[in-house]
Amino acid sequence: METIQNILAGLFLLGGCFFFATATVGLLRFPDFFTRLHATGKGDTLAVTLCLIGLAIHSGLNMTSVKILLIAVFMFLAQPTSTHAISRAGVRCGLEIWRKKEKEGNP
Amino acid sequence: MQTFFLAVALGICFLVFLVLYRVVYGPGVFNRVAAISAVGTKTLIILLIVGFLYQRVDMFVDISIVYALLNFIGCVAVAKYLEMER
Amino acid sequence: MIYRGEDIIIRTISRMLIPFIQLYGLYVIMHGHYSPGGGFQGGVILGASLILLLLAYGYQDAKSRVPEKLLTVFSGVGVFIYAGTGFLCLVLLGNFLDYAMLAKILHTDAAHARSLGILSVEIGVGMAVMAVMVSIFLDISTGGVLPGEEEEKQKTAEEA
Repeated sequence: METIQNILAGLFLLGGCFFFATATVGLLRFPDFFTRLHATGKGDTLAVTLCLIGLAIHSGLNMTSVKILLIAVFMFLAQPTSTHAISRAGVRCGLEIWRKKEKEGNP
Repeated sequence: MQTFFLAVALGICFLVFLVLYRVVYGPGVFNRVAAISAVGTKTLIILLIVGFLYQRVDMFVDISIVYALLNFIGCVAVAKYLEMER
Repeated sequence: MIYRGEDIIIRTISRMLIPFIQLYGLYVIMHGHYSPGGGFQGGVILGASLILLLLAYGYQDAKSRVPEKLLTVFSGVGVFIYAGTGFLCLVLLGNFLDYAMLAKILHTDAAHARSLGILSVEIGVGMAVMAVMVSIFLDISTGGVLPGEEEEKQKTAEEA
């Protein structure tokens, strides 16, 4: 039983780390603000939820895992909301939207 | 399992350092705010893993709930401030 | 100025989250003995929930929930509870905040009296910190003049 618990927790944590890594790559490599926010907003939410579920599985059935799952529900509600707030502020402030550069000479 | 937790925490710390590039050099304040929010979510997981390493999770869970909460309220407040600054 | 509220997404999520945040603040205050937290931290969480309410709904709509006069009363009452517990111990022939002396009027042994004394002090500190946090936020975000008070101040200035 212990082994199954540890393996499941490890799989969930590794999945969370993978999505953290993809969100970070997106934040570093994408060309403008809105695309970067698109990467971190979705990637970080999924990664945090996966990591918290893994830690709750490792903790077992007690008060601590209930609190960890509460954090997961809170992050699942709060993270998209804060992303929405920042992106709306960016739109209102008139940030430039990135467009693909057209080759010169071609109409 | 402890070694695995330590490895995961170190990996997430490395990702935090990568995100700090966007915090320092990111053009404009909006990129910085988005990057700081990302750092906050990673710190939440690191706090919980440190709690498992010290065998005192019941203490660290309370701290990380407050961390998540203040991260959210700070993000909304900064967004509203930037919107009014315009 | 915080006249205007946010849009519907932020308002809905805040409306869902604020009661749980306040419940968690009360939990932090009550369990300050044997978990991280206490009066100051619980007060900060309660104040943060009220600040989220003010951010999401704007001052005009949240005015009835967070009135300025009630905040002043709360900060005074909180400090009064804290100092009153201390001086009650002085009256009962102990030192300042010597909770063991409270056993004479609570009819319990010294250990329970210490626990209850710490709890009352933390409740007072939490109330004061919550009220002062929201007051500081209102002062910073409005520049010291609340919306609606401007006309009254102009009238008094003209009369003088």
